[in-house]
Amino acid sequence: MIFMHPPRFHYLMVDHDNRKTAINMDIHFQHLDDESLICQIQEGKHEAFGEMVDRHSKRFYSTAYRLLFSKNDAEDIVQQAFLKLWERRLFWNPNKGAKFTTWFYRVVVNLCLDHNRKKKPMPLCENMELVDEKDGQEILLDEKRKQALMDRFIKELPERQQLALTLCFYEGLSNQEAAEIIGIKLKALQSLIMRAKTTMKEKLNHHFD
Amino acid sequence: MTMDPKHFKENILLYGVDLHQWPEEIGQEGAELLQKFPGLQTILDEYEQFEEVLKTRKYEEPSGNLAQRIVSLSLHQEKESRIGLGFFLSRLFADELYLPKPALIVVSILTIIALLTGFFIGFSNPSRTVLTDQRQTNLQEFLHYEEGVL
Repeated sequence: MIFMHPPRFHYLMVDHDNRKTAINMDIHFQHLDDESLICQIQEGKHEAFGEMVDRHSKRFYSTAYRLLFSKNDAEDIVQQAFLKLWERRLFWNPNKGAKFTTWFYRVVVNLCLDHNRKKKPMPLCENMELVDEKDGQEILLDEKRKQALMDRFIKELPERQQLALTLCFYEGLSNQEAAEIIGIKLKALQSLIMRAKTTMKEKLNHHFD
Repeated sequence: MTMDPKHFKENILLYGVDLHQWPEEIGQEGAELLQKFPGLQTILDEYEQFEEVLKTRKYEEPSGNLAQRIVSLSLHQEKESRIGLGFFLSRLFADELYLPKPALIVVSILTIIALLTGFFIGFSNPSRTVLTDQRQTNLQEFLHYEEGVL
């Protein structure tokens, strides 16, 4: 009988002093679903945590970015959320049968909302002046102006409408999952999406027509 | 429920302009309605344009090393997860005894009251008070236990 070790792969860890260390990771973690992975994390297996971060950091960054309108803030929030997950790994209750991503979306969304409430509103500069009217730059500035205007309209939406639009339209989650994340009933969520899109459509039509 | 043009429009807002992305039970109905009322195609096109505009919203990709940074930081802050009394009690009752949340709150409050009552009774019980003479005697007994000198 031939005994085979499970296949392993490496990832590079960079510490504060910029030293790089190769970390072995059992490849079987890649095949585990999120809920099994979180059980491994609870047992203190750091490689499982690494796999979870690898698997989901981009997705949660995207949500955070849509809610915070800032790359740095979004990265900080995602970092904070994952570090909390590792630090308080025993708080997750696997017996409740909740989907990990739904629960973690809630964590990230709550951190973003707290962050937005604490932060002073920054004026958005949609009234950009043209300095040099070269062909390419004019188009680019127009594009930037439109994006800034859209950000402003989204920011003007009530918090829950903003959330519904982000989760369902930009993140492509189902209405049911978004309702669970926000903690409201499906009908209420659908009403939020309809109001958010209707308002956005009216404002965009008014401005660009 | 049969779909009318008003519901069709609502469904565009809820599920998007791609009818294939609609829930199965209403997707077919929507397609049939679209064939029945060709005017609805104009509405669909209008919303398609609107969605395209929404998609032009600014987005910046995260830094390439975001995941690595998080993993590295987590190694540095490696601490044992501390379990507080509240968390311990909630896990004990919720996991082992399978109590619903309201019952869990009642049981927790009753446990705290029982503990406090116990402390109160324990400290206020006069039979526990030791007279000075007796305490001295006991101390003597303790000090000279088995004839030894401590």
